[in-house]
Order: sequence, then structure tokens, then C-alpha cells
Amino acid sequence: MTKHQYSRRFFLRSSVAFTALAALPAGVKAFYVDVENVVLPPKQTLPLKIKVNKREYEVLADSRTTLLDLLRENLGLTGSKKGCDHGQCGACTVHINGERVLSCLTLAAMVPGQEVTTIEGLAEGNELHPMQQAFIECDGFQCGYCTPGQIMAAVACVKEGRTGSVEEIKEFMSGNLCRCGAYNGIVQSIQKVAAQ
Amino acid sequence: MKIIDTCGAPPPADGRVEAREKVTGSGKYAAEYPVEEVCYGVFAVSTLAAGKLKSVKVEKAKEAEGVIEILTHLNKPVVSGFSDETKIRESRLGLAVFHTDRIFFKGQPIALVVARTLEEATYAASLVEGEYEAGPFELDFDKARRKATLASTGREKGSPEAWSQAAATVEAEYTIAAEIHNPMEMHATIAHWVAADRLKLYDKNQGVNNVQRTVGRVFEIPAENIEVFSEFVGGGFGSGLRVWSNTLAAAMAAKMVKRPVKLMLTRPQMFMLTGYRPASWQKVKLGADREGRFLGGWHQAMNGTSTYEDFNEWITGVTRLIYHIPNLKTEGALVPLNLSTPTWMRGPGDCTGDFAIESAIDELSYVLNMDPVALRLKNTAIDKHPNNGLPWSTNYMNECIETGARMIGWEKRPSKPLQLLEGDWATGYGMAVGAWNAGRGYASAGIVMQKDGSVSVRTAMTDIGTGTGTGMRNIAHEVTGIPKNRITIELGHSSLPAAPSQGGSTGLSSVSGAVVAVSNDLKTRLAEYAAGINPAFQGLKADEVQLTDKGIALKTNPGAVVSYHQIWEKNDLKSLELEASSGPGEERQKFAFCSTSAHFAKLRVNRRTGRVKVEKYVCVADGGKIINAQAAANQMSGAVTGGIGMALMEEMLIDARVGGLIANDLAGYHFAVNADTPVIEVAFINKPDVNINPSGAKGLGEVGIIGVAAAITNAIYNATGKRLRDLPVTPDKIIA
Repeated sequence: MTKHQYSRRFFLRSSVAFTALAALPAGVKAFYVDVENVVLPPKQTLPLKIKVNKREYEVLADSRTTLLDLLRENLGLTGSKKGCDHGQCGACTVHINGERVLSCLTLAAMVPGQEVTTIEGLAEGNELHPMQQAFIECDGFQCGYCTPGQIMAAVACVKEGRTGSVEEIKEFMSGNLCRCGAYNGIVQSIQKVAAQ
Repeated sequence: MKIIDTCGAPPPADGRVEAREKVTGSGKYAAEYPVEEVCYGVFAVSTLAAGKLKSVKVEKAKEAEGVIEILTHLNKPVVSGFSDETKIRESRLGLAVFHTDRIFFKGQPIALVVARTLEEATYAASLVEGEYEAGPFELDFDKARRKATLASTGREKGSPEAWSQAAATVEAEYTIAAEIHNPMEMHATIAHWVAADRLKLYDKNQGVNNVQRTVGRVFEIPAENIEVFSEFVGGGFGSGLRVWSNTLAAAMAAKMVKRPVKLMLTRPQMFMLTGYRPASWQKVKLGADREGRFLGGWHQAMNGTSTYEDFNEWITGVTRLIYHIPNLKTEGALVPLNLSTPTWMRGPGDCTGDFAIESAIDELSYVLNMDPVALRLKNTAIDKHPNNGLPWSTNYMNECIETGARMIGWEKRPSKPLQLLEGDWATGYGMAVGAWNAGRGYASAGIVMQKDGSVSVRTAMTDIGTGTGTGMRNIAHEVTGIPKNRITIELGHSSLPAAPSQGGSTGLSSVSGAVVAVSNDLKTRLAEYAAGINPAFQGLKADEVQLTDKGIALKTNPGAVVSYHQIWEKNDLKSLELEASSGPGEERQKFAFCSTSAHFAKLRVNRRTGRVKVEKYVCVADGGKIINAQAAANQMSGAVTGGIGMALMEEMLIDARVGGLIANDLAGYHFAVNADTPVIEVAFINKPDVNINPSGAKGLGEVGIIGVAAAITNAIYNATGKRLRDLPVTPDKIIA
């Protein structure tokens, strides 16, 4: 981790502060505004060097920018999807240093010095990753919107060795929602790759 | 009969036409098109359920860095189609966003903050505050429905007296919580005015021509001046059948700031701004004689709607579709609430009504001490449509039921509850059926052929994940003989041949006819050209020739080939472009059409914790000829997954005191995740319906979900003896 680290405790502390402040009478509102400006500072931009799919990017990022928005809105890498922006659906799953991570819960400021891999970086040139090929052959999708996240999670699922049974695959793929319900094909794709 | 087991079937090597774009992330969904100078819009929404918006405090937000403009009802550029109350009504859009100061629901847009970046717009939107004059509101469906008055929803058959002495009668009330479509892609629009009266929309929807017409009407510009791109659509389930406030507001804002505006709803906003399946109440009374023949039925239903627009789900329609019920009365009512307007959601009406009817039949089977499969087979209306009396073109409901019973191992089902016990777990079997009037719309398709023999088959219809494009390729291949790898598909763009919206299971049923027609036109046209080179092709009909990757050949003599190269050279062609249309005709006066499904569930219920584990699920469907087996099976198992969510977890949570939704995100609103479903087994009857359209395919999208909820709750009864009539059946209801 770099120095730009926002801990869970920081969030807890600040939300407790907000809750307490919200309960204060109107007379203390001026103070509230001052505090708000300290805790939620106005826009700050940070120069960041970020490595995505083995390519270096130098960006001036808003300190509030998530990795997901950086990818989609600044780097033109729209393969990672936004399905909730709250870490509830898995559509934005990418790999950081080879592990599956929700890019909507990762601030851009947290990733310098790390290896980010998105769906765009999974294939070797025109050669699809075996998991991508398996998703095509097993029809592991319908609308395709959750698919990049499913595939990134599936690659990690195989790497983590969580493919011992249909039940185990289903359990370890349940952080990736698919509203079309293409779960049959997703499970089958993972079984296929795990067997290779 | 062909059984397609999605797990065991060898996958076709080619997959879907758009598969590569989907697995590599290169396919562009609405919010992903690169547009120069684009800026970002974020809605600020009402915090009140009802009343009047006196003003919108935007000063603080305006000072925030990056803000370009803040659109409200006070400063919006008046859109001509919304300029007065009459026009707003005529627009049939319900909510005239930013053209009213009335608040109809909590979550209604009161401002659109436009800023240079998404972060800036999001932050500034949090600073916008509405000033309201609060009004009275009602969000308690159960309370409000008691004031509603039922009215007839169809011709009454026979009389109530005729079955007052029925040997077996059941009567019960059923409720279903409102459900939200929640497609994985949140609704999004990029609006770009390329001239004062020319608009480009990159928009998430289920019908580009509908968006063109609707937006054209509101802005009073010709529909053809609006170019709509919806080439990849991240799910719909009905939410994309209307034009919502995000599309209109993005267009208004783009006009105001003279720059393209991108607006993607947040997930919480998806719960109020793109429709939902309304909450419903039903009461069903059903009577039968001692042998199990239905004598009479009385079906009453109510569904929630908004205070500014009526949405009728027509819940009782399905009661007039599946069975012969000689004496039948159906009634319905709407219940206005301070919520946004509901809309069609997968299997609209039928899915809701079917839960009550199929539960009631299950209840009746226990009263009669009769197998529910046998009871249904005795009453299915397989000869003619029970409501309009037209003979079915095809109806394989009984085959669906019989096949499903075999696949689940129905003979192992105990005839009464609490027989299969193991510790805290009780196992049970349940079944139900579903049906859907199989429709067809008027659609067009085009083919463009190049000198090298490659063709592009195109239509404006979207593909929301159903496999429409792949189906079109398969049909074009089958009709012409052109190899699949020489066929590309273009769809989801308004300049392509016009097609209806993709909804109500009519997509492939509609467009397939046009693809067959244009494929045949291509063969005839090429035969005419070929005749100028080889007289053997003179006067040949489409079915007498075959196309290959090289040229056109005689079916009777495949050696006689005229190459595309020869045809192009001789006629000095650049490309060959054809378009054809196709729609329903007089067959609709002669026949009735339906798709049917039978659902079988085997599940375990933990009697201590209330947990339900669906162990095995079988869905057998008749959708006519199956054009694309793998995608069709996927669609069916997906529909079942949706039905499992409807049965066990999906629920719009409302705080009626505060007047709004709670838990409106994907952590609070549960639909089935991978681990909530077993590997779902799907089979098709796969016999063409020769009357519905030239391809013989009937729609499948709806019928896969109709019947699931009742199959699950019927199985829970078989396991535990608990009859649960209120969806979703969450664990608390089971252990209560």
C-alpha cells in the first residue's frame, strides 16, 4: 500500500462525526459547515502513475475518483462495468497484483505501484484467455454486462482453487451478480477451465 | 422431442455473433461511447413523497468546482411537447421531468447538475436542496387497496350459482411484493445535439424506434432527426420499453449547455426511475367436481400504480388462458400510491396471476387428494383458447407437463407433506405451469451482400441478451445456405430497417419472418442476375437455388454455379442491398397462439432456520421451433433464476411512514445469486408452429418465469405443510 491509504476506521470515524453533527440544533450549523469542509475537502487533484494491462499511464486524478471511473471515464477502458458503484454486484471486478478486487471500492489514489489487469488485458493479442473462450463456448452470459466482471472473478476463482464442486464454484462466484441468470453457463465455463 | 441439457450438450464452436465483444469488454453499452466534449449529469431527487416543489436551492452547488449548469423546473428550456398540461397528457410519458412543480414520489428528479466530471457532478448534486410544501401521501398498498373498487376484467362465463355445490372448493388471498427489474446495466444516456433539430442518443432501451418516436414527439422534431444507438443493451426485462427521465433530461441538458451530456442513473435511482412490477393482491376461489374437473372460478386482483398515471398489469388474463373453467368471473382494480409508475416486468400480469391460480390448483389437489399433475392434465385447454374460442395453432402444454414430471422424478413425490424428513430438513416436490399469448409484430430486416459473398443481416431491433442477432444469423444461414462465418449482424441502431421494441416475447417471432423474407428475396434476386449468365437459372424460385460462399447454385445440380464475382462484374454492382418486412396476417383470425411451460422443483426447507435450498429444477417449454438451442436454454434457465428470486427474495421495501423506499440498492434488494440456484435443467418441445411466422419460432422470454413462483411455494408446502401465499417467502415466513 502507498501512503494514500484510507482505512475502514477513517470512514467509521467520519460517519460517526456526521451522525453526531446531524443531530445538532440549527445554531451549530456554521460549525458543521466548517467541519464538513475539513472532512470533505473541495476537489483535489493528484498526479498519479498507474499501470494498467502492463501499460503506464500518467494521470491527474480527482482524489475522489475510483479506479472504476478512472478506467471508464479517463482511460477509455470501458470493459470494466458499473453495476452498482457500491461493491454489491461484482461487475467492476479487476485484478490487482493478480487478485480479484472491486474497482468501484478502490480509489485511483490507491493503485500506483500495483499491477492492474482489466478484461481488456486478459487476452494475449488476438488469442483469447481460456476463460473467455470457455464463456463463449458455454454461453456464460446473455446481455454481457456482468460478463467482464464474471470472467475476471472466474479466472481468480480457478487460481484460488475454489472449483472442487458445482457448489463450491457457485459459492465463490456469488459476489458477481447476473440478472439474466446465466449461472448455468458460468459454472460450466469454470469447470471447463479448471479441468484444463 | 429434443431434450437440451445446457450442461451436457456439446457447445457450438461459433457461439453468439457478439460473443467476442462481450467477453473482451469491447462491446459499447450506452454510457461507453467516446463522445468529444462530453460532460456529466447527475440527478438530485426529491426527499418528499408528495406536495409541491416551491424552489430548488442550487446556490451552494453552483459554487462547487466544475459545475456548468443546474437544470430545474424553474430554468429549463421549455420542451414544446411538455409546454402545457394537455400536451403532457398526450405525450403519455407520465412524468414530465422538470416541467412540473408537483412532487409525486420520493426520488423524483428535482434538478440535474451538469459538470465537467462525474465526481464534480456527483458532489454538487449532493448540495442541491429542494424546498417543498408537503402534501399527504400514501404508500401502504395493503391499506390503500381496501378503498379500491373492483370492476370486471372480461366477459363473465356462466354463473356463480352453477358451481355453488362443487364437491371441492378452495378460496384464498395471495400477495406479491413489488419487484424491481434491476438489469445489471443501469439506465444511461449520452445526448448530443449535432444541430438545432438533430439529436444523437446513445441510450439504454429495448426499442430504438420507440425512443426515436417518443423523443421526437416531446421535442417536436421529426423522428428521423433522432439517431439512436443501442447496440449493446445490458439487460432490460421490461425496464427498457419506455422512455424515462434520464433520456429526456440528458437531451434537455445537452440543449441547454450546448455540449453532449452523459447521464447514468445510480443504482438507488434505478428503483424509482425506470419502473417496477407493482405490488399486488389477489383472491381466488376455485371449485371442482369429485373427479377434479374445474366447475368454476372467481379471480380478483389489484395492483399498485402511481398517482399520476394508471398502470394496469391485467393480472387476471392468465385465468382465461390455460384451463377450461366453465363458470368464470374476473375482476380487477388499481391502487394509486405515491410511488413512480410501475411498468411491464418479465411475464407482466400473467406471472402475477399465475402464482395465485397455480397455488390455488395445488391447494385444490390436496382437498381432492389428487396428484397435481393429473389434476392439471384433466383441465388444460389444449384444444382451443378458452377465452376467444379460436383453435390453438399449436399447444403442447400437456407434453411439457409429462416431460417435466419424468425429468424431475415426480413419482418420488410424497402425496402429503412432511414425509421426507432428515434432521431439520424437509424435502418436497412442487410443480406449476405457465402460458403466454404468443404475439408477433410487424418488423423489417435488410441484407447487404458484398462481391466476396459476405453478407450483413440487419434490423433496428435491439438484442438485450436474448440472442436475437444469433437467431437472425442462424435463420439467414438456414434459408440461404451462406456459411455462418460469412454472415455478420447489425442491430440496435435507428437507421437500420425498422422493428418493434424487444418485449412481450415477440422479438424473434417478429423479426424472424422479415429475415426469412429478405433471405428469400436475396436468393431470387441473385437467381435473376445469374440467369443473365447461365440460362439454367431462368425463372427459378428461391427454394430452387442455394447460396454458397462462392456463388449461387442450383439445388438440383449443385455443380452449376454462377459466382458472385461474375454477377458483380456483369452488372457493375457495388453491393447488393435488399430489405423486406413481415408481420401478422389473417392467421390471427383463424388461430390462437401460445407458448407454454411446465415447472418442477425439488427443494429442501430447513424447518428451524427457514432456509430454502432448491436442489433440482426442471423447466420444459414449448416455444415452437428452437432457432438457437443454447441461447434459448440460457434464456429459460435465466427466467427460472428470476422466478426463484420472485418466490424467495425479491421485495421493494417501503417505509410508508417516511413515504419512500428503503434498502434500495443491491445489498438491500436480493435477487438470486449463483449459489441460490441449482444447475437448472431445461428442455424444449421444439416443434415448429407453422402458422405463427415463417420461422416457426414462438417467443420464450416470458413463459420461462411464469409458473416458477408457484412451483417453489407448492414444493415448500409439500415439504413442510406450510401454505405460503405472500411473496417473497423469506425465512421468517417459513418459521413463523
